[in-house]
Amino acid sequence: MGEKPIWEQIGSSFVQHYYQLFDTDRTQLGAIYIDASCLTWEGQQFQGKAAIVEKLSTLPFLKIAHSITAQDHQPTPDSCIMSMVVGQLKADEDPIMGFHQSFILKNINDAWVCTNDMFRLALHNFG
Amino acid sequence: MASKPVWEQIGAGFVQHYYQQFDSDRTKLADLYTDASCLTWEGVGFQGHKAIMEKITSLPFQSIQHSITAQDHQPTPDSCVMSMVMGQLKADTDQVMGFQQTFLLKNVDNKWICTNDMFRLALHNFGA
Repeated sequence: MGEKPIWEQIGSSFVQHYYQLFDTDRTQLGAIYIDASCLTWEGQQFQGKAAIVEKLSTLPFLKIAHSITAQDHQPTPDSCIMSMVVGQLKADEDPIMGFHQSFILKNINDAWVCTNDMFRLALHNFG
Repeated sequence: MASKPVWEQIGAGFVQHYYQQFDSDRTKLADLYTDASCLTWEGVGFQGHKAIMEKITSLPFQSIQHSITAQDHQPTPDSCVMSMVMGQLKADTDQVMGFQQTFLLKNVDNKWICTNDMFRLALHNFGA
């Protein structure tokens, strides 16, 4: 069995770490963003680590559980990694909803940070 | 009224052009990809212009229509533009299905080309 390409290893490892942190203590997500990072959350833009962490920490739910349906990873020409995730989530006692999220990861000083993050609920899609 | 940031103009311009071409004559998408481009279509990877165009032109439908529900655009640290699209599509007489697609655009010789493209049908998602 062939080994997965390195970008897939990095991408899937990041994705696993991201949702694990998000679901247990999302205030800790600060470590993966930098001041150059951008987040678009349901169409709203947040620029920089502080603004991003503030948005994520103040999302209006106590509990959240993400379940990943599919993930794709690709290397970019500038040695970054692009990841796309399709999944479902459940916040507090709300019904399960689908979501889409895309990331760009960049290696800075030997650590993979998230420079771009886009999240949307899949309210208009149906199986 | 403030003008949209340039990355939004570029991203939205690309997205409109991409789906218009896809729906009318997808062989014309050739201009948007280069040999450095990657496409992941429903989990399967295609590398380079030739393989990508072969995949796109051999997709098993005659007519296709995309309708965009939402799109987001951001500038990346390396001066690229990242775009995420959520929408619905209808192929031939199949039922309408949701899809998600993410692009990375790069300016090469004064032209915005697509270096990374990921497409998935939203089969596992459902609305509230």
